[in-house]
Amino acid sequence: MNIFRIKKFILAITLLVFPTSIFAGSGHYHYDGPDISGAKIKIFGPWLAPEDASFRDVLSIFEKETGASVEYGGSDEFEQIINIDCKAGNPADIAVFPQPGLAANIAATGCLAPQGNDLKQMVLDDYAAGQSWVDLTTYADANGKDQFYGIFFRVNVKSLVWYSPDNFEDNGYEVPQTMEELISLTEKMASDGNTPWCIGLESGGATGWPATDWMEEIMLRTHPPSVYDQWVSNEMPFNDQKVIDAMNFFGTFALNDKYVAGGSKAVATTGFRDSPKGLFTSPPQCMMHRQASFIPAFFPEGVEAGVDYDFFYFPAYSSKDLGRPVLGAGTVITATNNNPATAELMKFLMHPEAHERFMGKGGFLTPHKGVDKSKYASDTFRGLHDILVGATTFRFDGSDLMPGAVGAGSFWTGMVDYTNGKSAKDVADAIQSSWDAIK
Amino acid sequence: MKIKINFSSILSQLLLLFFVILWITPTFGLFISSFRDKDQLAISGWWTSLVTTEVNEIHRTKGKKDQVEDEGFYIIKGNLFKKDEGKKVLSYGVTSKNINAYKVGEVAILKDKSEITVFENGNYQLKSKSEFKKKKGRRIFITATSPPSFTLDNYKEVLFKEGLGQAFLNTIAVALPATLIPLIICSFFSYSLTWMNFFGRDLLLATIIASLVVPLQMSLIPILTIYNDLGALFNVEAKSFPGVWMAHTGFGLASTTFLLWNFMKSLPNEMLEAAKVDGASHYDTFVRIVIPLSIPAFASIFILQFLWVWNDLLVGLVFLDKHPSEIILTAKLKELLGSRGENWEILTTGAFISMTVPLFIFFSLQRFFIRGLVAGSVKG
Repeated sequence: MNIFRIKKFILAITLLVFPTSIFAGSGHYHYDGPDISGAKIKIFGPWLAPEDASFRDVLSIFEKETGASVEYGGSDEFEQIINIDCKAGNPADIAVFPQPGLAANIAATGCLAPQGNDLKQMVLDDYAAGQSWVDLTTYADANGKDQFYGIFFRVNVKSLVWYSPDNFEDNGYEVPQTMEELISLTEKMASDGNTPWCIGLESGGATGWPATDWMEEIMLRTHPPSVYDQWVSNEMPFNDQKVIDAMNFFGTFALNDKYVAGGSKAVATTGFRDSPKGLFTSPPQCMMHRQASFIPAFFPEGVEAGVDYDFFYFPAYSSKDLGRPVLGAGTVITATNNNPATAELMKFLMHPEAHERFMGKGGFLTPHKGVDKSKYASDTFRGLHDILVGATTFRFDGSDLMPGAVGAGSFWTGMVDYTNGKSAKDVADAIQSSWDAIK
Repeated sequence: MKIKINFSSILSQLLLLFFVILWITPTFGLFISSFRDKDQLAISGWWTSLVTTEVNEIHRTKGKKDQVEDEGFYIIKGNLFKKDEGKKVLSYGVTSKNINAYKVGEVAILKDKSEITVFENGNYQLKSKSEFKKKKGRRIFITATSPPSFTLDNYKEVLFKEGLGQAFLNTIAVALPATLIPLIICSFFSYSLTWMNFFGRDLLLATIIASLVVPLQMSLIPILTIYNDLGALFNVEAKSFPGVWMAHTGFGLASTTFLLWNFMKSLPNEMLEAAKVDGASHYDTFVRIVIPLSIPAFASIFILQFLWVWNDLLVGLVFLDKHPSEIILTAKLKELLGSRGENWEILTTGAFISMTVPLFIFFSLQRFFIRGLVAGSVKG
């Protein structure tokens, strides 16, 4: 009887221990943080509904495991508020930056706390193309010394063209695999009497930004990435012939009344939010829409991914040997102090479980190699993940890396001027002189 | 003579009517929009929703899962409309290239030899000799008449969204003290500026009026820095309700003092002199004579300051934390808009919901408001 009991006890112990040891070995281990009950961490970021709820859900794992309490607050005036808070000396413990350029500006004021080498190593090990992500979060501090400041969490892929498979089928169009095919498809659509593109640049105070994405995509597809880097850092002037050519190439789509819905006059005044709706009207106003992975949030209610809409990779020239460049963007998580609780939360955000929880909520894409792809909420995101991981060149949204006065100023307004009929040369000259003015 | 008077009064009436319409039309449009479906809102103006209009829509039939076999035919039946909104189909098409190829009730024969019929009420029938193989249904393009249709979805979205009730209370918790505190302070202040003689009085008044030109945006960072130091000193949160009350008080004090001083100055001098002769102290004069006489002015200043604080977004964003227990209504509405403004239709509804309290305050204090404006302008 006694022996039997002991056996039962041993069995129970093995049952308890065994499964955890299996999971620990598989790499998809559960996040297991230290006990830091009583710690209070405040996070401030740009995410609002519905991402804020998803992010709070991710944070609840951390709260449950460590006993710390975490508060996330979001605002779409993030840029202004973080500046005010930093100048007043009371920023939230962790700041989520919508663009690395802005994080670099704030880092230069000394408001952000540099992160340790262990976090940097995690990014190098766990992210696909880890070094490029580390480079994007390494900024000069208040003394001009380069430091590593944070991690990318939630990225966007931009190099996508959205379309309706049914509309393609009705007209007998094929998804283009190369830029040459895309150009001839555009011509074919126009000669069939269809309008190939929906392009909308209006976005309130940020009007013009969708056109800067076009420029960046074209630069990556017509020149090696080193040229792109020189352009973004202004080593190559903005009014270089290469940039002017890229702008004129954008113009072949945007300035041709037959190629763009509503005619070229409508490009600057159509809202970027409303522009993709043209894919789903009856009859369709356009056949294709180039925009980042977030855009399905603006599609009409009830349309279904894979059924009513789909996407393809904005292709590269087969005649130029430039591989498969992918353009993206993302949010950077940084800390403003080196408290142990804050540091632990930064580490948690590199844990696969944090990524997988957000992935399951939708609207989240990650370059993390350790995540289980099946955790993505939809096939769309699995497809995007493949594009992101399959990129031969990954480059960050150039306008986000340029100084604010250019990347979020004269570049935007310049592109609006261009679609309104100003010549590419004049626009590029004006942008370059605005860049010279802040040097 | 009589005709002339009528003419000018008709002209002024017409002018008044013109301005009323000018102001009411956008508000009315916003009101109509707040009851409209978000996708409709994006593609057509609010005036189109008032009458029956012709619309082009794309619908999808059911897929192979729903087919039934009947006397050698495979049949899929259903209705294109999700709910009955009184729409009537006029014509339809089966490809995007020709969206009204067939009249309603007509049989369309497709490439794969299957047949399709669409009826006026949206019912459809797909019929084929061979089995349907596609999982997704076929698209049907319809031209239909659409009667005016309205929905309460936007209101439900805003009212029952988590945290909105709390945000409403937060705004009240900010707005009431932030209105009453400056009102109390400036009533004492205006009295002393008007009826008490002391050294540098005019200079003080000039300074207050001059401070009206300082934009409040300029003082946000310095004030927040002071709050941080104070917060560290007393070990309290720098961003808190008392902080935002003080900020609103400070920002509102100059204009409220100026308005009230302007009013008190117009009170009859004789009355106050008589009170003095009768031996009333400054306190007695203030409480028994000046305050009762100034009620209209108080009411109008209350309304102005309350509206300002109620509609404020900037001060609330800067001096309060963004978590649910402190977020104010305007900030919450902005949050509901979404990270990229994808839910902008809730702005229409949000505007009307946040408008209710100021409207209530305005109408309940309206008689004072008008008296206050008139009383300040006519010297007794």
